[in-house]
Amino acid sequence: MNGTRVTRRRFLAGAAAVGAVGLPGVARRAVAQPKATISYWNGLTGADGKVMDELIEQFTRETGIRIEQQRIPWADLYAKLQVSVPAGEGPDLALIHTIEVPHFANDGVLEPIDESTVSGKGFRADEYLPSTWQGGIYQGKRYSLPLDVPQHILYMNVKLMRAAGLVAADGSPKVPASRDELLVMAKQIAKGDTYGFAIGTVNPGKYTWGFQNLLWQNGANVYTPDLKRSALAEPAAVEVAEFFGAIHAQHKVAPPANASCRDAFIAGKLGMWIAGSWNFTGLRDAKVDFAVAPVPRLFKQPVVWSMPHQYTFPKPKALEAAKRDAAWAHIRWMSDHVAEWTLRAGQVSARRKAHSDPRITADPVLKTLLAQAPNWQGGQPTPKWVAAENLTRPVIETIYIGQKPARAAMEDLARQINALPE
Amino acid sequence: MAAADRGVKHRAPRRLRRGALTPYLFLVPGLLLFAAFRLYPLLDGLRLSFTNARLGRPQYAWVGLANYQRLLDDTRFHASLWNTAFYTVASTLPILAIPLVLAVALNRGVALKTFLRSAFFFPFTLSVVTVGLTWLWLLDPVVGPFNYYLRTLGLPTRSWLADPYTAMWAIILTTVWWVTGYYLVIYLAGLQDIPGELYEAAALDGASGWRSFWSITLPLLRPVLLFVFVTHIIGSFQIFGQVFVLTQGGPGDATRTVVQHLYETAFQNFFHFGSASAMAWVLFGVIVVFSLLQFRLLRGHTEY
Repeated sequence: MNGTRVTRRRFLAGAAAVGAVGLPGVARRAVAQPKATISYWNGLTGADGKVMDELIEQFTRETGIRIEQQRIPWADLYAKLQVSVPAGEGPDLALIHTIEVPHFANDGVLEPIDESTVSGKGFRADEYLPSTWQGGIYQGKRYSLPLDVPQHILYMNVKLMRAAGLVAADGSPKVPASRDELLVMAKQIAKGDTYGFAIGTVNPGKYTWGFQNLLWQNGANVYTPDLKRSALAEPAAVEVAEFFGAIHAQHKVAPPANASCRDAFIAGKLGMWIAGSWNFTGLRDAKVDFAVAPVPRLFKQPVVWSMPHQYTFPKPKALEAAKRDAAWAHIRWMSDHVAEWTLRAGQVSARRKAHSDPRITADPVLKTLLAQAPNWQGGQPTPKWVAAENLTRPVIETIYIGQKPARAAMEDLARQINALPE
Repeated sequence: MAAADRGVKHRAPRRLRRGALTPYLFLVPGLLLFAAFRLYPLLDGLRLSFTNARLGRPQYAWVGLANYQRLLDDTRFHASLWNTAFYTVASTLPILAIPLVLAVALNRGVALKTFLRSAFFFPFTLSVVTVGLTWLWLLDPVVGPFNYYLRTLGLPTRSWLADPYTAMWAIILTTVWWVTGYYLVIYLAGLQDIPGELYEAAALDGASGWRSFWSITLPLLRPVLLFVFVTHIIGSFQIFGQVFVLTQGGPGDATRTVVQHLYETAFQNFFHFGSASAMAWVLFGVIVVFSLLQFRLLRGHTEY
């Protein structure tokens, strides 16, 4: 509603201006300053995509730069970039996840960005959260600039938690402090087709991002620190795998491997849910009575999985300065308007400036997300990260459903990852 | 005379040759398209299968049979071959029989025949993604209606698509629901080609309904059955869409099929076109062998 009113007002203001200046004036200006049109690909296919549309419209109104946006599901977007960029058919600007940077950089899909260009365009490291700023660098070269930080958070269904008597002294839902406590609480909630705990949006059985979160909490990781071989058969990783299998196959507190945890949570059939921050605006739209808390410490460290979105320039066949400038102008504009993006799309910005915006600090969910910043961790910078993740998906699912014992499955997975071709 | 004879002799074959070329000229546009979009990719795929080509990398090298050799050790490829074979065998009987039963019933002239024919055909007009998403929701373990009604009736529920023992059957069920209408229409056309006198004569000789089905309907439907059988087998070996939408090959690798494995190798895991092309050619070989076997088995008895 608000947007419509603004548009109408702006339209009337524009019409008045045209009337005052006269049409020839407008035409002359349009000829004098032809503005670029750039292509921009991203994977914002959810509610966030609609917000991006609106912001892009506003950007075009203010700058005259037109953006042809293509929103493609992330996995397809990456395949499309890999195919079209070498053919010279890539977009002028692309938004990708940090972990995609190494393999795209390695394959020459992305163009390196000079630090002098970055500072020349007014982007400074101290304006950004360090982990997001560093995420744009691969093997000493910068390939991307961070926009925001999708991350995990704990959602709790207030009604279910209250019904199970899991409330703190102030009446808010109780937050588990360890994995034993989590299991006890989850068992109190679980009943029939109602589940106590889940990690993952859809298909929790193969939710690698949740599995990574647990690995990192236990000090484990997909690769050894030198990135030479897989560390998934090490005891700390196996311990995580055992827990991952226990929640569904053994204790039956987590939903089936292919359930939609989001639908279950909205339907009031899931009590505690570790999932992406991108879900919370949808939960509000669905009028679910929920509370949030930082991702609980289930292993050794309270690490929170995070995966910044990064702006990148896919390598063009021949660089057109006007288009590159227009792309920079958009990144600049979005960085300056990132508070709007945070408020409406629910993604915490990588840039610090927006964090003190009173509208953001007043929002309990955004405040919780921001408070998690010291515990953020992301994937390892290797071109083989994504391939390893693809191999991980079916293997953790066999553990989740109890088809394979954790240790044997993880040893097999480590073998598969080590056999990945160079 | 001799000269004239020779002239005639010379002219006749030339005219013949010119006439013989005409059909090919008409075929040229189609053949060119076939060559550009079918033959060339096919053969280029064969070439790629002997290289270490990767999408996005301009240089690649000839690696001989290495990609094929790797397939011998690739346990996930073996699993996907086995799953594809299982799907093909397990889905054949329902896909041959259910549309046949429905077609025979509809051919007898039941009430609402036209409506029912359209109703059965309707699912086939949907894309595989629509069908997959519909069934994904129907079979959802928590909020899906399938389990809801089972629960209401006091029957045990399952997460059909997340259980290695039921996932492939759920895919078969989805496929049967989707393609029944298509085969039904083909069977109906075949049934309408069978002369009514044969049934009349059989009835006069005192043949029962079953007897005329076994002795008239089935034998005379043989060409149609062969068509359905062969196209179904070829299609089954290439199953991808339903699996991709419903299970992504899961749980674990329980429903991973060859084409899915190939797709992931080519477009998700490192864009290994060489390796994926080798898989495609192995699958091609399997399909050719099966198709030849089917034709050999059924050829002698079929009148076209």
